Amino acid sequence: MPEYAGVVKAKGAVGGPQPSLAARFRTSVRKYWFIYLLAIPGLVFLLVFSYAPMYGVVLAFKDFKMNKGIMGSPWVGLAHYRELFSDPAFIQAFKNTVIINIYNLIFGFTFNVFLALMINEVQCKPLKSVVQTCVYLPYFLSWVIFAGLVQVFLQAPVPGDVGGVVNQVIMSLGGEPIDFMKRPDLFRGILVVTNIIKTAGYSTIIYLAAVASVDLSLYEAAAMDGANRRDMMFHITLPRIMPSVAVMFLLNISQLFLSNFDQVYNLYNNFVLSTGDVLSTYIYRISLGGGGEFEISTAANLLLNVMGLIALAFTNRFVKKMDVMGIF
Amino acid sequence: MAKTLRKTLAWVMFLTMLVTALPAFATEVATGPEANAARELVNIRFSQYANSVDDQEGMANDPIKKAIEQAVNITLEYDTGIEGYDDRLANELAVGIGPDLFPTWGEATKIRQYAEEEAVYDIAAIINAQPERYPILHKIINTDEYKMYNKMYTGDENKAYAIYSFSARAYPSFAGVPAYNTAILQEVNDGKVPATVDEFVEFTQKAVEAGYSGWWPYNGKLTNWAEIDNTIARPQGTSLRTPATYDWMWTGFVPDDESKIGTDEEHWTLMTVSDESKEVMKLLAEMYANDGIHNGVGTLVDEDDGYAAFNNQTLASYGYSYGYYTQFKKLYDSWMQAHPEDGSLADLTLGTALQNNEGQWLRVYDVPSYVGAHYFIPTSCAYPERVLDLVEFLASNEGQALLFRGIEGLTYTMDGDTVVYNLDEFVNINKSYGYPNPDRCRYMWFSYLFCASEMMLDLETNDWWTAVTAPYDNTLDWAEGEARECYLYAIDTVKAFVDNVYVQLPSYYGLATLDAEWGKVQTTLFEITNRYLSQMLGGQLDVETGWEQYRAEYEAAGGPALEEAVNEAIREARENFG
Amino acid sequence: MDKTVSYPKHPRKTMVQVLGFNFYDVFVIAFCVLFALICFYPMWYVLIASVTPYEEFVKGGALLWPNGGVDFQYYKMIFENSSFVNSLWISASKTVIGTFLSVLVTSTMAYAVSKEHVPGMKLLNVLTVFTMFFAGGLIPTYILYVNMGLLRTYWVMVLPYGLSITYFIIMRNYFSYSVSKELEDAARIDGCNDVRVFFQVILPLSKPMLAAVGLFIAVGFWNDYYSYMMYIATKPNLQPFAWVLRRVLTDSAMMSQMRTGAVDIGAQLPPPMALRMATIICAMVPIMCVYPFLQRHFAKGVLIGAVKE
Repeated sequence: MPEYAGVVKAKGAVGGPQPSLAARFRTSVRKYWFIYLLAIPGLVFLLVFSYAPMYGVVLAFKDFKMNKGIMGSPWVGLAHYRELFSDPAFIQAFKNTVIINIYNLIFGFTFNVFLALMINEVQCKPLKSVVQTCVYLPYFLSWVIFAGLVQVFLQAPVPGDVGGVVNQVIMSLGGEPIDFMKRPDLFRGILVVTNIIKTAGYSTIIYLAAVASVDLSLYEAAAMDGANRRDMMFHITLPRIMPSVAVMFLLNISQLFLSNFDQVYNLYNNFVLSTGDVLSTYIYRISLGGGGEFEISTAANLLLNVMGLIALAFTNRFVKKMDVMGIF
Repeated sequence: MAKTLRKTLAWVMFLTMLVTALPAFATEVATGPEANAARELVNIRFSQYANSVDDQEGMANDPIKKAIEQAVNITLEYDTGIEGYDDRLANELAVGIGPDLFPTWGEATKIRQYAEEEAVYDIAAIINAQPERYPILHKIINTDEYKMYNKMYTGDENKAYAIYSFSARAYPSFAGVPAYNTAILQEVNDGKVPATVDEFVEFTQKAVEAGYSGWWPYNGKLTNWAEIDNTIARPQGTSLRTPATYDWMWTGFVPDDESKIGTDEEHWTLMTVSDESKEVMKLLAEMYANDGIHNGVGTLVDEDDGYAAFNNQTLASYGYSYGYYTQFKKLYDSWMQAHPEDGSLADLTLGTALQNNEGQWLRVYDVPSYVGAHYFIPTSCAYPERVLDLVEFLASNEGQALLFRGIEGLTYTMDGDTVVYNLDEFVNINKSYGYPNPDRCRYMWFSYLFCASEMMLDLETNDWWTAVTAPYDNTLDWAEGEARECYLYAIDTVKAFVDNVYVQLPSYYGLATLDAEWGKVQTTLFEITNRYLSQMLGGQLDVETGWEQYRAEYEAAGGPALEEAVNEAIREARENFG
Repeated sequence: MDKTVSYPKHPRKTMVQVLGFNFYDVFVIAFCVLFALICFYPMWYVLIASVTPYEEFVKGGALLWPNGGVDFQYYKMIFENSSFVNSLWISASKTVIGTFLSVLVTSTMAYAVSKEHVPGMKLLNVLTVFTMFFAGGLIPTYILYVNMGLLRTYWVMVLPYGLSITYFIIMRNYFSYSVSKELEDAARIDGCNDVRVFFQVILPLSKPMLAAVGLFIAVGFWNDYYSYMMYIATKPNLQPFAWVLRRVLTDSAMMSQMRTGAVDIGAQLPPPMALRMATIICAMVPIMCVYPFLQRHFAKGVLIGAVKE
């Protein structure tokens, strides 16, 4: 029996008299010294860059005074939250944020998985490379420019100008041109679709990497048994990338209350505020980029993150029940 | 025991005072380069918005920087930024690593906060302690006007927490003057420049019928209604706007009786949600729906798409604060970029401000000189006296000449009493700081330390108020060729009607302040107005049915209360400073 | 025919195959090609716009092909500007160093934490995930960097990103789920200790995921301008290309939004569209070049048999 029966042994020890914490620690360090060693660099970074400045969250409940410092500044309780919630525009922005994120989850997230499977199914290798490279390109256009292009492509016709590509296509098919950027009812759709185009290719990489680690012998065996490619996709590929899908899903859930400022800020306008205004753009507008709004932004971030954490905890349980590993 | 302690303490204090006071006695020459040469050599980090420090080599060879460093016996470190700049400075200040001299945009809330939280020095205390070291600054901060501002900001007229950078122009600057494409103006209007709102609207209609879009007012995706308001609403005696926290508080207000301004009977009415504004909004919505206003207004970018539409001749008129000549020059520059071969100034026609049918002009109520920026020295700076040496030098005529004329023999020469500029050399210096175009002739650092409109001041011979309210604009001295023609054309065109338009308010208006809690109300109202007006303009909301809802929401959010507060603030200012 | 994922022909021919069609393949290819085109066109548009002079550009129309001549003046301008070239070096070096560091730190920790049976690792996992939701904000971060001497140094763009929580989660999940447990156990039976298992079994098996995560992290470093903007700001010889790009794209817009009319600094025209577009292309090309090298790793299946031997 090799040394590696640690799990069984450790569990077996539970019944006996409990050794002291320090003693147990020494034993496991001796046994798993290499594992601990691997964790140390990460732990150092975690403590220094994440935990050391964490005390700053108290600003959410304080009135920051420069001469008193973070800890010395007076407490104000929930005043910042009362200020946020007293504005109906905040509530509207909050709703929009969640709705847009849910759309992104339903359409965007699913599309990413689907795209990964489809690319994986392309048999012609050069074509596969070309497709993969193309879909990955838009990720590198920052939102400032990508949003500008979206507007150019969706432009409605004006005197002397035939309008953008999309409207030209619509008109050549005999339809009425649509003034896309001014339609509150279409705006969330535009956000979701542009987000897909910009990031889907990039997101597939994680799934393709997961597919790549599926043992090829599984496919060979399945082929022997007479399975066709669609069956293999559903019964071999998909289950094998499920853990990755699950973890990406959970990561998305944890961002449920956060919004993509760069995307919305560069795409939205006053015509579509009712459906398009999200929390980050709202907070940006009320502080007008003036700087120094430490407390409000800390307060808003804390709230949204705590809600994200709760959403994650719930979903995590659910995902674990489906026999896939969760985040916790 | 206690007595001994007190005695000892008294002695210690006395000795400390003596030791601190000694160097002051030892300094014989208090001001000027000789005095500075004897002082400690320090590094001063100076911050200013929107320059560039990319060109390190150019910066190292900058003769003006060298001259300043030598005169004050310091090394200068320039600090700048655009995106993230305000945030970074706020953070640096909060953790005590701020630049040694840095600006804000003159917000009363910020100076109050900085003073209260002891983040910045009271420069008056330092200057008044050594008047012979800072003769010009001492003169400045002890004027009645300076003290008036001190009082307005912090309630104590003897405490000055900032160098107040005044904003005053040689020419007024305002929105509401459209510029036209000359060819289209000829084609659809026989070259006649619209003079009234009706004529203007009619012109845009004719332009649409001829296959063009009518008008593009600058609007920042409909977050800035000044151009639209000044062109269409103001001449008709109303206003669509509501004051943002950074606007004049009477933005969106109309005086009940203009002749009473400056007297006890003056009163302003907030017109934002009035019936008159509703009619104007109907007109605007109609214009927008049929391309009289360009379809891209509100969604596209003014300076990219707007200029592009104008430049490719599909747009008949453009409006972007062309009541000021350098702003018109921008349109001209952009036009020439698009038509490098065959473009000329004659392709553009600068129009006039509009009137209503009764001959009532657009009225612009402005305080022509006001505080446009504050410069602070943070309490984390170990040598505020040295920083003030720098400020003192720059306030002197020698310093001002260095900033606005440069180095004699290099950037300018003297022909008798006339300054002959060498623009190329100046551009060569400014190029290193991100200003490669020959459209300004001044050093791009410290340029708005005293005068926020970036003009030369004579603080040495004049008293502060005289100096800052009458700055010297040297543009027509250095501009040559087409640029000069363009400037002159714009200045002359506006001159023909500016007296009908520009109303100079008494200077106490610039000292009227609202309490800090009104900021939130103003922001909320501003949000409401932007949301409703945009949607009415774009047709998402019908003006007729939406207006009541708009008015109700606006009033519930504090519109009428704001009207009262503003009138009250003006009254208070008149009583205190009038 | 793809060598790595080779499916033998279906033994029983369906009607469709007899007719010479395969709807499945047609659908897959049509879908992929269409989506690829949609993704490619914006890029193409940027490329065309980057070589179109302004006087042509304002004439507008859908840009499919450069009309009115190709003009490389803006590319020349970019490469003649020393700060552009210097910033490319900064970006490249911080991306290489940062990616190496981050992949190393993140993946080793992820592997350690994936060993849930080791005492303390579950706790460490919770502690790590927790930080995704609670950040101290700017002020304490500033104080930390000042105290560490990181502020306004090159390392402030590298060190704080040493541990990436998101990729930690992905990697940990991958190690505990996708890397075959049986193989690991088999290796131990053959007498391998933890060290050898990690280097000889786990690392080779995880190549696809390491390559993918490495790519993500590298792209993250390449695109990061925030750390320069906030924590360095005025040391131009340290500015990364992403920041140069960002400034070309947004500065003029932000200047025209200046809320005070007092200062005349808005009086500059925005940089020509072509210059902005050319800068984008210059920012993309280097990181795009990394892609094919890494793609090899995650596009190819792992031959588990090879590891077994």
